[in-house]
Amino acid sequence: MTTEPESSPPERVPATDLVIGMAGSGGDGIVSAGESLISAAASEGYHAMMTKSFGSQIRGGESSCRVRIGTTALHNPGGVLDVAVALNWEDFLRFGGELPVGDHTVVIYEEATKVAPDELPLGDVTPTDVFPVPIKDIAKKSAGTQLAKNTVVLGLLAGWFDLAPDAILSGVRKRFAKKSAELVEMNEKAFQAGIDYAKEHPLRQARPLARVERSTTGLMLLDGNDMCAAASIFAGCDFFGGYPITPSTEVMQYLTREIWRYGGSVLQAEDEIAGVGAAVGASFAGKKAMTATSGPGMALKTEMLGLATIAELPLVLVNVQRGGPSTGLPTKPEQSDLFQAAFSGHGDVLRPVLAATSVADTFRVTVEAFNLAEHYQTPVIVLSDQEIAQRKETVDAIDTDAFEILHRRVPTEGELEDYHRYASTESGISPISHPGLEGGNYLAGGIEHDEKGSPSVKGEVHVRMNEKRFRKLDPLLERDDLFSVEGDADAALGMIAWGSVAGVCREALALVRASGVRAKLLVPTLLWPVAERIYGEFLSSLERGLIVELSHQGQLHRMLRMHVDLPPGLEPLTRSGANPFRPAEVARQLTQLQNGGVR
Amino acid sequence: MTTVELTFKDYKSKLKPIWCPGCGDFGVVASIYRALAAIGRPPHEVAFISGIGCSSRIPGYTTAYGFNTVHGRALPIAQGIKLANPELLVLVAGGDGDGFSIGGGHVPHAIRRNPDLTYIVMDNQIYGLTKGQLSPTSACGSKTPTSSYGSLEQPVNPLLYVLSYGAGFVAQATPANMKDMTAVIEEAIRYPGFSFVNVQSPCVTYGGDHQQVKAHKKWMKGLESLEHDPADRMAAMELASHYGEELHTGVLYRNPDPPRTYGELVRERQEALAGGLPRERILESFIQR
Amino acid sequence: MTTTSKVRGLDFANLSLLDALDLAVLVEEEAMERYGELAEQLEQHNTDEAARFFRFMEKNEAKHRAALLEQRTARFPDEPRVVRREMLFDIEAPEYDEARVFMSVRDALDTAMRAETKARAFFEGALDELEDPDVRALFVELRDEEIEHQELVQKQIDKLGDAPTADPEDYADGPVGH
Repeated sequence: MTTEPESSPPERVPATDLVIGMAGSGGDGIVSAGESLISAAASEGYHAMMTKSFGSQIRGGESSCRVRIGTTALHNPGGVLDVAVALNWEDFLRFGGELPVGDHTVVIYEEATKVAPDELPLGDVTPTDVFPVPIKDIAKKSAGTQLAKNTVVLGLLAGWFDLAPDAILSGVRKRFAKKSAELVEMNEKAFQAGIDYAKEHPLRQARPLARVERSTTGLMLLDGNDMCAAASIFAGCDFFGGYPITPSTEVMQYLTREIWRYGGSVLQAEDEIAGVGAAVGASFAGKKAMTATSGPGMALKTEMLGLATIAELPLVLVNVQRGGPSTGLPTKPEQSDLFQAAFSGHGDVLRPVLAATSVADTFRVTVEAFNLAEHYQTPVIVLSDQEIAQRKETVDAIDTDAFEILHRRVPTEGELEDYHRYASTESGISPISHPGLEGGNYLAGGIEHDEKGSPSVKGEVHVRMNEKRFRKLDPLLERDDLFSVEGDADAALGMIAWGSVAGVCREALALVRASGVRAKLLVPTLLWPVAERIYGEFLSSLERGLIVELSHQGQLHRMLRMHVDLPPGLEPLTRSGANPFRPAEVARQLTQLQNGGVR
Repeated sequence: MTTVELTFKDYKSKLKPIWCPGCGDFGVVASIYRALAAIGRPPHEVAFISGIGCSSRIPGYTTAYGFNTVHGRALPIAQGIKLANPELLVLVAGGDGDGFSIGGGHVPHAIRRNPDLTYIVMDNQIYGLTKGQLSPTSACGSKTPTSSYGSLEQPVNPLLYVLSYGAGFVAQATPANMKDMTAVIEEAIRYPGFSFVNVQSPCVTYGGDHQQVKAHKKWMKGLESLEHDPADRMAAMELASHYGEELHTGVLYRNPDPPRTYGELVRERQEALAGGLPRERILESFIQR
Repeated sequence: MTTTSKVRGLDFANLSLLDALDLAVLVEEEAMERYGELAEQLEQHNTDEAARFFRFMEKNEAKHRAALLEQRTARFPDEPRVVRREMLFDIEAPEYDEARVFMSVRDALDTAMRAETKARAFFEGALDELEDPDVRALFVELRDEEIEHQELVQKQIDKLGDAPTADPEDYADGPVGH
């Protein structure tokens, strides 16, 4: 998928949000510019989101970022760009559909590329506001070096769009003050030169970004991986065992800096298996433990998952999904690990699978994962994806007091007198001891066992134990609070979406409803087991709609078909990863369905 | 951490071993009972982790907290347990296949981290649980169901493997000499750091006559009687290189100046970094100022 | 078998009568428990006849132990015991290596014979190191008892005769994989 032809302005409330896409090569510092931009926006109180994308070189390859800045809450990085900045066209075009240009996009590019404004390599797209800017030249003249290009770009953006100029300047100063006063001065000049150029070459139609009026108290700026790691500490995690793998490594790195303060520890193990193995051990020893990885790592961890399942040990596994299968697309998001999360592992196994929809949501979902793991004494899989994990997002203050933290059920003194580790209680949840607790000694293991924990190959024991391990999770099917129904509850038109795609669908829903059509959206946090009643209630009024998933197979759609009767008009809208959905596109598809058309 | 007056019987569980009568592992577990009794940590403060195999059943035959995990992964799991609760006495056990075939990749890292735990391998040069296949310590040329015409591979040398990765305590034993085996296991547990004991523990069902306890009695050579200095690592490695030809028993190497254990280093770091935002306020570090 | 390979942490040369009696009790206790253990293993593995014989030996050793304990209690009613089980290593107790699945009663008798023989050798060999005359007298008694036990076992072996016994391996199922 390449550029998206747009013949009419997008259905968006104008000037309350701006989607900026920038690309260049690694040396240009385009991503640094993006970081400065989002920092500045956040400090002014804007809602903001930033994603990055790179070529496969370790350094110096093509490099891009998207920054979306708005006056109201944002749910996804946006669709067609409002502003495109290309420091060179080869690199810009390498990003294809990640940086879609439309006729309304303001295109800013390096004049020295010698591409004529009416001969832009954008196919059928003919943007009306095109600015070849001698960026390198301006940088040289104002700051004395071409390298200050990115600062000039910041000035241009600040000038043309009234984009937090004071905050950006302040950020620029802070960044270079670390090095020298001279650098600060040079970059101040470069920034001003950009602003001046913008003033001297105004846009055809002014598009200043509206000011935002809101308190910045408690406003955070962070990415999904950091949020996951911080949330785990909040939830009481004392141990992390893992292995570096893109795009999850930052979770481990955050904990490597912080977890010691709380008496916990991190082990970067020799491989994925050892990482989760150490976490299983820590859990057996009574501590809350976690691992984080991506698809290939989850594949390796499958056996350990089974061990934790039959031994009934709490464990949180975070899978930051990337393109698969196998090595796949390490730096692109995809939603193709749902089957793996639900089904992988031999034997009859059932474990909860949760998915977060945004950086903010990652806090709630991670805490919930720990609570479920502890309460049900089971591994719990959290599905994030590369976009949420590495996307920087402003997050409003979170009221952490509102979150309950659960702990595993420790045996009472009475229970310790004749301790049965796997006692078949009414709930199916047994009291769990740990080494160090006198009287609670037991044998844990992967082999099937009876209520005492003694190994058993008897048929009736196996029946009881499987039944217990499944039964204990039954209450999950009634967790309405792990599902969000948005929009018109009785609409006949609707969508189901999970993970980062839910953010796209939230905006699509708003677009559709703004045009007068009744529609609703179901966003499940709990993906597995399938809560049939809850889905049934959502589906009861539904006649037509879309299950939108960023995967070739549409894995949730297929899982739902195993459990619930889907209305024939509810269709999968699926696409392999690295081909992001855009709100307007989804809105259009949904509207077409409403009109009885074929998509 | 508590020490109490316990006898070896306090460590014996009621679970009846599936081991064939005559199995060398009976001697090993008996030595472990005695060693633990001598050390005096109560069973609930002992965590005994194993992999998969006949010998890996051993934790269940003790009254300690046992964890019979998956094939080859006992060491990483045990390290997680020790990190989570450094006060526990942690024992790890398994066979030669569990430890040096599928588990071989974990051994060097456990050694170089130097956690304070003891790893006992019951080396019988065979895969007993699965009916007698080749193991990584089987002699070249051995005929087994998976090497019908004789193994084409040279065996791993567990003693040299462990020594060359820098283990601070390495010993070998056999149930043919219960007294020395008990002494060596006790010493290994007491050693402050990663300690390794390779026990030549015969398989009576699949092993050859030359591998049985009777043969050990003729073959074994106590390292003390050879006047070996266990502080001499190079001499230890020289002796270790004769694995398979000789049955050296006793302590091959004991680091006279044991380095700090992984747990000590972790604790030091935790103490140095303690403080800062309490868990409930951890998000404050992300607030934009 | 020298005492040094069978006993740990005990000063043999200066063994007191109290310690010697306690040692003797523990020797029987160790043997009794070992026969019990081996019997349990064999019962677990359906090798019943040999198991029954080991249970019989377990009872015998229990009797010997009881008799010696009586002696000890009579001589030293209040003195605490210093000698511990952990100091003994299979003095009279048959080694774990003695047991085998499908072993016959004859095999079990041979095991008992070896046990009695090594016990006798232990007490005899100890005489070379012991100094105290009362202790020596005790050990002579103990040795002589072992000789008696040997004769009893031999009688049982003789009763069985030399009839060729079938090899269980010719009939038994092969080992099972797990």
